[in-house]
Amino acid sequence: MAQIPNLDNAPINLTSLREQSQKELLSILKNIRGKKCMVVDQKLSGSLSLIIQTSLLKEHMVELRHLSAEPIETDSTKVVYLVRSQLSLMKFICSHIHNDISKGLQREYYVYFVPRRSVACEKIFEEEKVHQLMTIGEYSLYMIPLDEDVISFELDLAYKECQVDGDTSSLWYIAKAIHKLEFSFGLIPNVRAKGKASVRVADILNRMQAEEPVNSSDIVVPEINTLIILDREVDMVTPMCSQLTYEGLLDEFLRVNHGSMELDASIMGVQQEGKKMRVPLNSSDKLFKEIRDLNFEVVVQVLRQKATSMKQDYTEMTTTTQSVSELKDFVKKLNSLPEMTRHINLAQHLSTFTSKPSFLGRLDMEHTIVEAQSYDICFEYIEEMIHKQEPLVNILRLLILFSVTNSGLPKKHFDYLRRELLHSYGFEHMATLNNLEKAGLFKRQETKGNWLTIKRALQLVVEDTDTANPNDIAYVFSGYAPLSIRLVQSAIRSGWRPIEEILKLLPGPHSESKRSGFATSPSYDSLNGAPADKLSDGRRSLVLVVFIGGVTFAEISALRFLSAQEGMAYDLIVATTKIVSGHTLTETFVENMG
Amino acid sequence: LLWKESWELSKNPMASKGSPLHGPRIKLIEKSQGLFSETKEHNFESKAAEEHAKLLRIQHELEVSTKQAIFVDSSISDTIRTCIVLGNHRAAMKVRTEFKVSEKRWYWLKVFALATIRDWDALEKF
Repeated sequence: MAQIPNLDNAPINLTSLREQSQKELLSILKNIRGKKCMVVDQKLSGSLSLIIQTSLLKEHMVELRHLSAEPIETDSTKVVYLVRSQLSLMKFICSHIHNDISKGLQREYYVYFVPRRSVACEKIFEEEKVHQLMTIGEYSLYMIPLDEDVISFELDLAYKECQVDGDTSSLWYIAKAIHKLEFSFGLIPNVRAKGKASVRVADILNRMQAEEPVNSSDIVVPEINTLIILDREVDMVTPMCSQLTYEGLLDEFLRVNHGSMELDASIMGVQQEGKKMRVPLNSSDKLFKEIRDLNFEVVVQVLRQKATSMKQDYTEMTTTTQSVSELKDFVKKLNSLPEMTRHINLAQHLSTFTSKPSFLGRLDMEHTIVEAQSYDICFEYIEEMIHKQEPLVNILRLLILFSVTNSGLPKKHFDYLRRELLHSYGFEHMATLNNLEKAGLFKRQETKGNWLTIKRALQLVVEDTDTANPNDIAYVFSGYAPLSIRLVQSAIRSGWRPIEEILKLLPGPHSESKRSGFATSPSYDSLNGAPADKLSDGRRSLVLVVFIGGVTFAEISALRFLSAQEGMAYDLIVATTKIVSGHTLTETFVENMG
Repeated sequence: LLWKESWELSKNPMASKGSPLHGPRIKLIEKSQGLFSETKEHNFESKAAEEHAKLLRIQHELEVSTKQAIFVDSSISDTIRTCIVLGNHRAAMKVRTEFKVSEKRWYWLKVFALATIRDWDALEKF
């Protein structure tokens, strides 16, 4: 599959990580002899596509199926289920087996849990009396590399589970994943965490190190110098703003999934009625690597420039006689033509969305809310949106932004908007509102807001942002610097201490710790002595930034921008429970009933 | 605990969505309203449940009188819109007063509904 990214340029050896996961899956399959049918849970199949090619699976005599309520049609007598430990999925498996029994089919069943088996799920098998018929195992896939510098833990619902359901099992998975990274790349000496979940993960990580220590003597220099863990809870403002980078906008409007995107073929200039096609989006595409992090306005300019220069080359080509080497250069340039066409098509399609007045109005409103100067205008705007019955998620997104920047709404307004929402969208959304309230995203005002202080202290709103030649991360939102990345910036530069006062204003505790095992090598002590942190082979050492509860493409872009700055001593890699946008994040809170 | 219980109750009727037996559903919602009203903090939830039950009753009546099963499980705003689209302005008005729909929202709904049926004359007059 074309969407598996090339990881050779990664600042850390992610290829080995991927190969390890691949090997593990294949060894599971090898142990089950003969032809088999592998039934994969829908969500997992996206992750798997980043690890293994379908052709390789075929070589191992595997038929692929998606798990659904429908019974499986296959001639193989061996069925391998690859599932996350979710109760609803277990029901499917049980019904499949019962269906086979009623038809008198005899099959061997294997159930592999990803990443780990769970008691609750096995209980269901016991209750359904199918436990005896199956072999249960684990496929410990805790993370997948999405790109050269992005790792995903693939925990879609982590944020909602922690905030609303009080289910913190995802934190264990995250810590486990980081610990696994440490086994490959050495114990990470500096850990900085902000947010309740983050501090918990840091604690679990320490416990894991105590129970099952990474032997630091094997690896002379730890490749990752600092671990920064941020909780999405700390900054819910950023994801609710519309992303304005190329990749961010693609995700907002067209949904990027596992480094690729499904589109109508007609958008890409292929004349096939109603046909869908997959477009890979990762840094193996050189042009995309160049433009993904830019503000969309600039992307259009860059593409235009490239097209013009190409045209120029072409006319030169036809008018004058060229030497062979010049010809060669020209042909080389032509090779990038498919990528050019691809992104020109995409950009054109995107601009149909971005030029809509409704989108521009929305952007305007987001900025007004973030600046937090004109409460009434914002309130009325949202009220009108509800009255017009605009898509619910759009409204909730603005509402969350509005509520978070105001530390909640006055009771009167809170109740009024809630009532209007229920009236306009139906009373079943009571549960959604309840989720949001529990997560503190849309709530009653209790204390006076401190957003203004935070905004000022961290310089979140930057006037005169030059999107073409940005000098600050604020370019990704055309004027708003993402709070989360400001925190990372400060954590890298000087740790938490200088901004302690501001951290206290943000939700959740923070912690900073230095981990032992390095007592013998004092040179790793300071993060501030930048030049000393170079690895022996001249590479920059690494900072791993973990986002619990998801990160947006725009934030990743901002981090890439930081790491490309002069005087930056570190390469940054991002790990996240999931890549999110305001839309997908809000959606997890919308309760689906019936 | 009480709170949790009432939540389960109010979620419950949703599970039985689509069943022709609206009777028990309304009763369940009313029961959850009762539970919500026992605590002071859940004034809002209790009111919402009350309105929900009332809405279901009205929708049921509308379905009987129009012989079209298109009302139940739509929101208040949608109900008003449907009424106007069907030309039943009196029913729309009744729903409006019943739930104290604000002037602002009412106008938006009416404009949208009239635009859907391309009743430009009425739109002009209004």
